[in-house]
Amino acid sequence: MHGEHLPDDLRILWKEVGMNPPKFSPDQLRDEMGRLQAGRRRKYVTGVVGAWILLAAFALCFFAFDNTLTRVGSILWVLVGGLMLVELRRGRARVIPDVGGTDGVRYYRAELERQRDCCRGRRLLPRLLMLVPPWILFNVGFAQIHPELALFMWFDGATLPVAAAVAVWLNSRLARKYQRRIDALDASLKSTE
Amino acid sequence: MDGTASQDELYQKAAEDYGQALGRLARAYEADADRSRDLLQEIHLALWRSFEKFEGRCSLRTWIYRVAHNVATSYVIRQNKRNPPAFLTLEEAEAECDHQSVEASADRQQSVTRLLALIQRLEPMDRQLIVAYLEGMDAESIAEITGLSAANVWTKIHRIKNFLTRQFYAGGPDAR
Repeated sequence: MHGEHLPDDLRILWKEVGMNPPKFSPDQLRDEMGRLQAGRRRKYVTGVVGAWILLAAFALCFFAFDNTLTRVGSILWVLVGGLMLVELRRGRARVIPDVGGTDGVRYYRAELERQRDCCRGRRLLPRLLMLVPPWILFNVGFAQIHPELALFMWFDGATLPVAAAVAVWLNSRLARKYQRRIDALDASLKSTE
Repeated sequence: MDGTASQDELYQKAAEDYGQALGRLARAYEADADRSRDLLQEIHLALWRSFEKFEGRCSLRTWIYRVAHNVATSYVIRQNKRNPPAFLTLEEAEAECDHQSVEASADRQQSVTRLLALIQRLEPMDRQLIVAYLEGMDAESIAEITGLSAANVWTKIHRIKNFLTRQFYAGGPDAR
């Protein structure tokens, strides 16, 4: 076997992984940082504008439609718009993880856990559930006001719950995959202890 | 940390001393050349930003590698978000290796490419270990970067090296 001399070979070979890495000056990085921050700001403003449009539209619907279900649905949509604004604010205040102060194993595990939790529903599930009642109530109420559109409104009303169920199922599958990665990491660390 | 050293000065020193190593590290995490450049830029950006917080509690080298590997780990997870795991654990890779016959490469460039391809198939934790090892670090330094014990690092590196050895020479006269 070549085990005796291979490590050195590999190290020599490794040094040949040349790509003439580009160099970045602090000013270039500052510019890039500014560009990224501007992008994030744009995304935030778009989200805020979207939430306000939703809020205003359904506030208007509350007064425009004389139907209890539509009105309850509208109030819930206004609440959803408000929650979106809160979420956007929270997202903006999110602290960037300390990449230099955290060692590799802890960081990797934390990243896997974060992805798993995102898929598992700590954030996704409440968001989806939050959308379903106003969506259904508003559509049912609208169908009562406009019976000629009832079929379409019922179909439309069923779309979101079905899409939500599929999204939850897909994400829980993904969460299980992340959990398996975490278990494999733990097992591999134990096996070499 | 030297109290007078500014964020920019620290970054410039890091880029000068470790620029090549960071370039290789980015290649270990991303096969595509263009995306590898993007990853490298992401690493440099994170590094430059991280120096705001650098207090000298660990060596500059440890800090640089931690930042680089952690950023690259996030990158790999992000890239594979819709299809995890795209990488193999060492056990899976070893099992797969037993079923393949890989030609021993005569060409140097091909060997480099193959080495990269093998490393890119490892999961991020194992990549961290082997990349640090290939950069010439000892077990203690790698332990400081990864958070594993030195003994643990040594055992894992030994296994990864065996895997790479087998992959490299599978198909040769002495294989298996």
